[in-house]
Amino acid sequence: MDFEVPSEVRERLADVREWGKAAVRPAGLEADRNGAPLPVDHPYFVSCLERGEGCTRWPGIGRKARPSQPGATVRTLLLAEELAYWDRGVIIASPGPGLPEGNVLSMGTDEQRERFLGPFLEPDRPRWACFAMTEPGAGSDAAAIRTVARRDGSHWILHGAKCFIGNASRADWILVQATLDPEKGRSAQRAFFVENGTPGLGPFKIEKKMGLKAYESTSFGLEEVRVPDSHLLGGEARYERSAGFKTAMATFNAGRPVIAANAVGIGRAALDEAVAFAREHDRVEDPRVRDRIETMARRLKLARLVCLRAGWLADRQRANIVEASMSKALAAQVGQEATALGMELLGLVGGRGDHLIEKLYRDVKAMDIVEGTGQIQRMIVARQLVGLPRDRG
Amino acid sequence: MFELEPSEELAILVETARNFADGQLTAQAREHEAARSPNAAALSAFAQIGLAGLEVPEASGGAGLGAVARALVGEELGAGDPGAALALDSLGPVAAALLELGGESAFSELAEPLLEVPGSRAWLAAPGDATLVRDGGRVRGVVPWVPAERVDLLLVLEPEGAFAVTEGIDVRSLPGAGLRAAGAAELHLEGAPAVALRADAAASARALGRARLHANGLLLGVLRQAVEFASGYAQERVAFGRPIAHHQALAFLLTDMRMAVDGARWLLWEAAWRADAGLDFAGSAASAFVEAVEASRLVGPAAVQVLGGHGFMQDYPVEKSMREARVLGLLFGGIDAAREDAGRAWLAADLPLAFSHGEVL
Repeated sequence: MDFEVPSEVRERLADVREWGKAAVRPAGLEADRNGAPLPVDHPYFVSCLERGEGCTRWPGIGRKARPSQPGATVRTLLLAEELAYWDRGVIIASPGPGLPEGNVLSMGTDEQRERFLGPFLEPDRPRWACFAMTEPGAGSDAAAIRTVARRDGSHWILHGAKCFIGNASRADWILVQATLDPEKGRSAQRAFFVENGTPGLGPFKIEKKMGLKAYESTSFGLEEVRVPDSHLLGGEARYERSAGFKTAMATFNAGRPVIAANAVGIGRAALDEAVAFAREHDRVEDPRVRDRIETMARRLKLARLVCLRAGWLADRQRANIVEASMSKALAAQVGQEATALGMELLGLVGGRGDHLIEKLYRDVKAMDIVEGTGQIQRMIVARQLVGLPRDRG
Repeated sequence: MFELEPSEELAILVETARNFADGQLTAQAREHEAARSPNAAALSAFAQIGLAGLEVPEASGGAGLGAVARALVGEELGAGDPGAALALDSLGPVAAALLELGGESAFSELAEPLLEVPGSRAWLAAPGDATLVRDGGRVRGVVPWVPAERVDLLLVLEPEGAFAVTEGIDVRSLPGAGLRAAGAAELHLEGAPAVALRADAAASARALGRARLHANGLLLGVLRQAVEFASGYAQERVAFGRPIAHHQALAFLLTDMRMAVDGARWLLWEAAWRADAGLDFAGSAASAFVEAVEASRLVGPAAVQVLGGHGFMQDYPVEKSMREARVLGLLFGGIDAAREDAGRAWLAADLPLAFSHGEVL
């Protein structure tokens, strides 16, 4: 047993800390004040490219992928926590192939990787991609999506609507989850690349959110959108072998501990602000103040350890369904507790609307919603622990 | 290297403890509770497997193991019967605490004699546990409850030091709210001789941290067992046409119970690892104890709740778990003192959870 973080990771964390302080948090505060996502031409995005970010992990045609390092998931989670500490919204806004990249890497054809990830090898400008699953009538119940894909010769026609999709209007392409037959549930689902500018895609409505304002959450229509055969992720043959829904769920699985780590990071920012506030106002000897700080710190440490446990299992290729879902359910709850306690500690200062803890209190709520709500996570855990049946009734 | 699994050596130790608990504690728990002592078979089996000497230094014939081993073994024994676990181990929480206070010399002087006396017991009183007044070399006062029928060595922690009492302890039997397999008594000291230990505030804090880790391991085992029992029962028991675990209200409750126990375990393990790694651990141990006690406030009563009326009856073990968990959380200053110590420790750090040190936290 050893809880020590490797020195290489600590150095990387220190680097992120500098960057977070200098660039990430200021950008997040700016977006929050403006009540609008960072514009596409914001200097922050250019500085991301200068740091070598916004690129794909895909090595390029004919090149071998770097073997993953031991402890890669634990490292990813620690970085996800530190980045979210500075501003979780800005991290999501940052350019790159983002959420769908993993799917394209694992399922895409060589042609698809070259066409859709190629531009992210050495991006000439900040570029985005996004994944569109959620619909007005299908949130956590992802099997209920109603965006339909139907064959038309050598093309597919997509028709439906998506909502709350991160970075959609600025994305080069959107990986759209659609169904061949809404009655057939998960196995009939497929993912399609839809390039920005394709006729019938849009209009894009950038939603107004409670928090995490730095990135756009966008709703849009798909009105008889026509894409060629070659835009079906993985090609047709792939789906004859395995069910379509698993693709989407695989992404979600990998993402849960990351969201959990984000929640810890946001909560930890609230903790540091609360401690600073208590010191500044000479209140650290007040047992009520100290007890709140104790609760925040203890619960955040616990949530961090539960996240790292899920990642540690993943690094050993061991099943982590229970741990991944537990980490998400727990950390999101803890993040909310921590920011709420921070607000209590501020007293009326928390009501002003200009304190960082107040922003964090709004931001962190989403961590209990995205990638499966806390309730969905509990259902997943309960299926494993007490055999809760999948179907209702 | 970040590694969350116990070493192979410790895994074997855990297996040993689990087998012992399965064979000698779980099924016998009601018998031990009624007798206020583990039975002879349990006592002799325990002596044979060597778990009694866990922290005893190798120089004194023990295994010389640390806090991680104690936490792991404690969980297994606590899952069997935490009262019996205390009674079986003469030195109990005192062993590691005494080593923090006086090292091996104090250990061999004060603790080693107990190892020769079957059934002897040592106990530890933290600041706030007792109204003990030291006047010169004598001590007066009362310890309202100890889970023991006899006390051969009482280690008393003070904020700035510690002392030991080995004679003049008047032990008056009590019914006991929990941990009855270890017995229950009130201790009266009327001018008992106090052996001063050369200890400063930091050593006293470490000793208290060790005692908290000890209780925490047992508590975690009780909670784990309660969740496992309630989860198993809820999958068997049918109401309204399905196993009660498949009603979402109970499915979620059982999930939350399990999450509470798992989370508490990570804080305990991390604190124990710190102790073994020679890092500051008193604050972490206090924090872990607070978490476990908070978890017990959910898990203990909820396990009874899952069983409904049956849960209230002594035919099932969950009512015992609820009582044991509750009183384990009262030990060594209880949750208030732990919260106080943890809060001060967090505030002593510049940025409490930043990665500025050579460890996770």
